[in-house]
Amino acid sequence: MDWLTEPLSQAFMVRAMVCGAMVGGLCAAIGVFVVQRGMSFIGDGLAHAAFGGIALGLLLDVSTNAATWVALPFTVVVSLGIGWVLRSGRLGGDVATGVFFSVSFALGVLFIGLRPPDRPMVNIESILFGSILAIGEEDLIVVGIVAGATALVLIGTWTRLAYATFDPALAKLSGVPVAALDYMLLALTAVVIVVSVKTVGIVLVSSFIVIPAATAGLLARSLTRMTLGAVVMGVVGSTLGLFASYHLNVASGATIILTLGAGFIIALVAKR
Amino acid sequence: MGGSAEWPTVSQTPQTQPNREKEKCVFEARNISKAFGELQVLKDVSFWIPEGEFLCLVGPNGAGKSTLLKIILGLLEPDTGHVRVHGKEEINSHTVGYVPQRKHFHASFPARVEELVAANLRGTWPVRIRAAEKEKVEKVLERVGASDLWGKAITDLSGGEMQRVFLARALVTEPNILILDEPEAGVDVMGRRELIDMLYEISCSDVLAAILVSHHPETIARTAERVLYLDRRVIAWGLPDELLGHAYLPAIADPRLKSTRYDDGVP
Repeated sequence: MDWLTEPLSQAFMVRAMVCGAMVGGLCAAIGVFVVQRGMSFIGDGLAHAAFGGIALGLLLDVSTNAATWVALPFTVVVSLGIGWVLRSGRLGGDVATGVFFSVSFALGVLFIGLRPPDRPMVNIESILFGSILAIGEEDLIVVGIVAGATALVLIGTWTRLAYATFDPALAKLSGVPVAALDYMLLALTAVVIVVSVKTVGIVLVSSFIVIPAATAGLLARSLTRMTLGAVVMGVVGSTLGLFASYHLNVASGATIILTLGAGFIIALVAKR
Repeated sequence: MGGSAEWPTVSQTPQTQPNREKEKCVFEARNISKAFGELQVLKDVSFWIPEGEFLCLVGPNGAGKSTLLKIILGLLEPDTGHVRVHGKEEINSHTVGYVPQRKHFHASFPARVEELVAANLRGTWPVRIRAAEKEKVEKVLERVGASDLWGKAITDLSGGEMQRVFLARALVTEPNILILDEPEAGVDVMGRRELIDMLYEISCSDVLAAILVSHHPETIARTAERVLYLDRRVIAWGLPDELLGHAYLPAIADPRLKSTRYDDGVP
C-alpha cells in the first residue's frame, strides 16, 4: 500500500491531485461538445493562443502565475475570433483555427523576444509541458474558482448545448440560441485551456480535452452517459497519471496523457 | 434544357389556387425576395396554404427551394416579404414541423430515437424522458410505424427508419404545418414505397398542412393536393393534374436540371 499512501503523504502531491481532478473533469466535460462538433483541433489552437497570452503577460512584466490573467482575455478574444470566422462561413473550422493558432503562437515568440534582457529568465519548458507538481495553494484556489464557475455555466446550459451540438438548425427552430451558445462554448473552452495549461502544458492540453471524450464516446449510448463517462475518465486518468509520475519520477503531464491514451486504446479494443 | 425559350411563359401556366373565401389559411408567404450579392435567388414569391392541404414544391436545382425553406423555417431573413403561420410571424417547432433532407448530426453522436423525438417536444436535449413526454413519444412513433425503434441508436437506423423517426420528431409537437425536404433522399426502393404510403396517410389529414419538396413524380402524384412550381419566382401554382401533365414534368422528375434564367431582372 506504500505506493498509494506515500505520494498522498506529500502536500504537493495532494494539491496536484486535487488540481488534476478538477482540470481533468472539466476538460473532459467540455471535450464532449468539442469532439461531437468535430472541433478537436481547436484545443490545440487555443492552447497555442494561450501561449501568446502568457507571453504578453511576461512582456508586461507580470509573474508567470499572474500572466494567466492576461492569457485569459487574450485567449477568449482569439476563441471568439475563430467563432466569428466560422460563423461567417467563409473559411472552414480547421483553416480558421490554423491561422489564429500560428499567428498567436508567433506573437508569443515575439513578445518573449521583446522582453528586456535584464528581466529574469522565463522557464518556457514549464509553459509548454506544465508544472502541476509546483501548484501552490493560491493557484489551487484560482483553479477551483474558475473550474467551479465554468462547471456551473456548463451544467446550466448542458441541455441546450447538447441540442445545438446535435443539429444547429433543428435546435434553432426549437428556440435554442445557437449562435450565443457557439460563442459561449468557444469562450469556455478558452478559459478551461488557460487554466489547464498550468497542469499539463500547452503541448498536451488538447489531449486532455479530446481523449476522455473520445474514449467515453466509444462506450456510451447517450450523450448524458458520454459526459459522465468522460468526466470520470478525466478525473481517474489524471489521478493515476500523477501516481505513475511520482513512482517513475518522470514529467506528470506526459504520464497523465499516456494514462488517458491507454484508457482510449482499452476502450477501442473492448468496442471491437 | 435551361434556356428560357424552352419553358412555357407564365400566362400559359395553370393557376388553380386555393379559394381564400372558402378555405381557412394556415400558412402564407407574401412577396418573399432574397438575393445573395448580385444573385437574385427568390423574387416576389407569394403563395398560401389552406388547412389540411398538402402542397408539393417543385422546381429545378438552383430554383431557390432550399432558400425558401430556410426562410420559412426562420433560418434565413428575406430581403423583403414575410411568412406567417395562422397570421403570426413567429415560427418555432410548435408551429412548424421540419423533416430535413440532410441529417447534419455527427456520425458518432450517441443519441437514441426517443431522445431525438423528445428533444423537439421539450426544446432542449433530454437528460431523462418524463412520463408525460414518454406517452407522447410512444404515440407518435406508433403513428409512423416506428414503435420498435424505441431505444435504438439513431446511427444504427436505415435510411427509411431514419426518415420515419425524423417524421415522428416533426409531428410530436402537433405543428400547424409540416415541411418535408426531399424525404425520399437516401431511402431504398422498399423504404420509399412505405414512406410514400405514410406521407399519403398524413396528406389525408383535414387539419395538418404540409409543404413537400420532391423530385419524385410518384410521391407528388400520390400526396400532392396542389403543386407549386418555383424557379426563383412562382412559375405555376395549381392542381397536380394540371401540372403533372404539363411541360414542367421533366423539371419535376429530373433534379439534374438547372434553374432557367429570365430576361426580367431575375438572373
